[in-house]
Amino acid sequence: MLIQIRGLHRVYQVGTEEVHALNGVSLDMAPNEYVAIMGPSGSGKSTLMNIIGCLDTPTSGSYLLKDTDVARLTDDELARIRNREIGFVFQTFNLLARADALHNVELPLVYAGIKHEERRQRARAALDLVGLSDRMKHKPNELSGGQRQRVAIARALVNKPSIILADEPTGNLDTATGVEIMAAFEGIWEQGNTVIVVTHEADVAAHARRIVRMRDGKIESDTGTPERQAVVVR
Amino acid sequence: MNLRESAGIALTALRANKLRSFLTLLGTIIGVMSVIAVLSFVEGLNRFVSDKLLASGSNVFWVDKFGFITSQEEFEQVRDRPDITVEDADALRGRVSHARLVVAMASGTVTARYRNKDLKAVQLRGRSPGYEVIDDLTLAAGRQLGEVDDQRRRLVCVVGPEVAEELFGNLDPVGRHIRLGADTYEVVGVTEAKGKMLGQSQDRFAAVPIRTFIKTRMERGSVDIAIKSNDQASMPVAQQEARNVLRGRRHLRPGSPDNFGITTSENVMQLYNTLTGGIFVVTIGVAAISLLVGGIVIMNIMLVSVTERTREIGIRKAAGARRRDILSQFLVESTTLSLSGGILGIVAGVGLALFAAAVSPLPAAVSLPSIVAGILMSALIGIFFGSYPAWRAAQLDPIEALRYE
Repeated sequence: MLIQIRGLHRVYQVGTEEVHALNGVSLDMAPNEYVAIMGPSGSGKSTLMNIIGCLDTPTSGSYLLKDTDVARLTDDELARIRNREIGFVFQTFNLLARADALHNVELPLVYAGIKHEERRQRARAALDLVGLSDRMKHKPNELSGGQRQRVAIARALVNKPSIILADEPTGNLDTATGVEIMAAFEGIWEQGNTVIVVTHEADVAAHARRIVRMRDGKIESDTGTPERQAVVVR
Repeated sequence: MNLRESAGIALTALRANKLRSFLTLLGTIIGVMSVIAVLSFVEGLNRFVSDKLLASGSNVFWVDKFGFITSQEEFEQVRDRPDITVEDADALRGRVSHARLVVAMASGTVTARYRNKDLKAVQLRGRSPGYEVIDDLTLAAGRQLGEVDDQRRRLVCVVGPEVAEELFGNLDPVGRHIRLGADTYEVVGVTEAKGKMLGQSQDRFAAVPIRTFIKTRMERGSVDIAIKSNDQASMPVAQQEARNVLRGRRHLRPGSPDNFGITTSENVMQLYNTLTGGIFVVTIGVAAISLLVGGIVIMNIMLVSVTERTREIGIRKAAGARRRDILSQFLVESTTLSLSGGILGIVAGVGLALFAAAVSPLPAAVSLPSIVAGILMSALIGIFFGSYPAWRAAQLDPIEALRYE
């Protein structure tokens, strides 16, 4: 099992009030799944995503990623997991404004301690994969929204993580571009990656092979049909 | 790589906002500049002083009326001492067995005249034979002043090249007669040029026999006596001999203090070191204040930078940057910033020192250690004052940072 979540709670202290963002979530995911996490705002889907992405740690419960309990790791160990196992794609792209596309894609490799030459080569390959080989030297403000999100996808892929974690990846794009980006995720998944998309749009979720719906910090429904799983290419 | 990237980011930001960067770095620039400039002057003075002391050759000490006085009170104590005379010098020459050379010296200022050409402010030196060793003079033409010139109080002189040039032009001065003040002298020799020291020409002089000098210009007054011992080892013995001879001539009782002064280059060096030590302390104070202010400004600008780039920090953390990665990135940036200030300060300081040396008599010599010190200082400022902002950046929560607008 890639992800094994048991009885996850996350409590925030807002003033004197305790907010239970996650209220006992249990969830398993196998490698090469394509999962959409859906729910209205305040349902806890962002908190769940942050914990799966090792940006946050749960108040209680356990989260095993590749059999490692990441709920108890130190900051530096979490940084290492984010670097090696997680590739993030954000709604607002989150690219470094002053760096060109190539350098943005290289970023995870910088922190993985990979040498300059290999880094260049792998970043080029990742940009090639998302169809941006002719835009490597462009800065984010010289790229369209769809191109920016594809740079972000290349960055998420470049260190060959176990999970691609996308948070509303089409939220800032027009419909046509959104479809294009979702097609890109489809391709990534078909190549054997695990993709988790957090969204509130049914259109986006429809691309996934499994849909987890959340409400009030709990999983409301978890639907997926095993026969719709893709054939693992590798 | 991280290092190069961070330094690059800092330099790009510097270039993008030149005025802001300049103002940010002003404190550092001024601090480093003042250190470099003052150290250059001190170094220049060091060379000047050691040149001056070496000019008389080694193993030389001076006997004079007042000795080495550094305060008004000391002067009050020594003002009524008896004069040192040429006869004292003769006695020392005969009885200080460890002395190789005893030279009596006195000087004044005259206007020199040849035909209808005047040359003002010529240093007139009264000297006994052997003076060329103490004054470090080499003949270009003619001869030096000799024993007979002195005994007979002849009106002869040896002139410096500037005097020869100004008065005679292309003529050969040797054998010609010039007026020095009220008397007419025959020029018997011309020396080689020595150049300037502290803006003062060393070549604008006329040397005459000491007894001639006393007869024509000094009814009363004290001469100075330079004594060169045989070697370094005999310096203390020679000094003791000189002291005994003078005390004997003056009938001083055992236990009473000397009523004359004996000065060595070590005394001069000591005073000089005290002086430059003072300059040094003041400079360090001034530099420390401007560097402190400079450092605080850098800290401020780094705090602004951390806030402005909160989102970037979030992105980097999401991509796997550890705290120490963020910490070192911002430390490298602040150090790059302060180093740029340091380098500008070094350039400005060297420029200032060279400019001042060119337009004033102050000597200046830029020393490598002062440049290294400037670079080290500015780097340390960047590290020290960049620590807190960098720490703040490293502590940011990645989720908060990513949400930051």
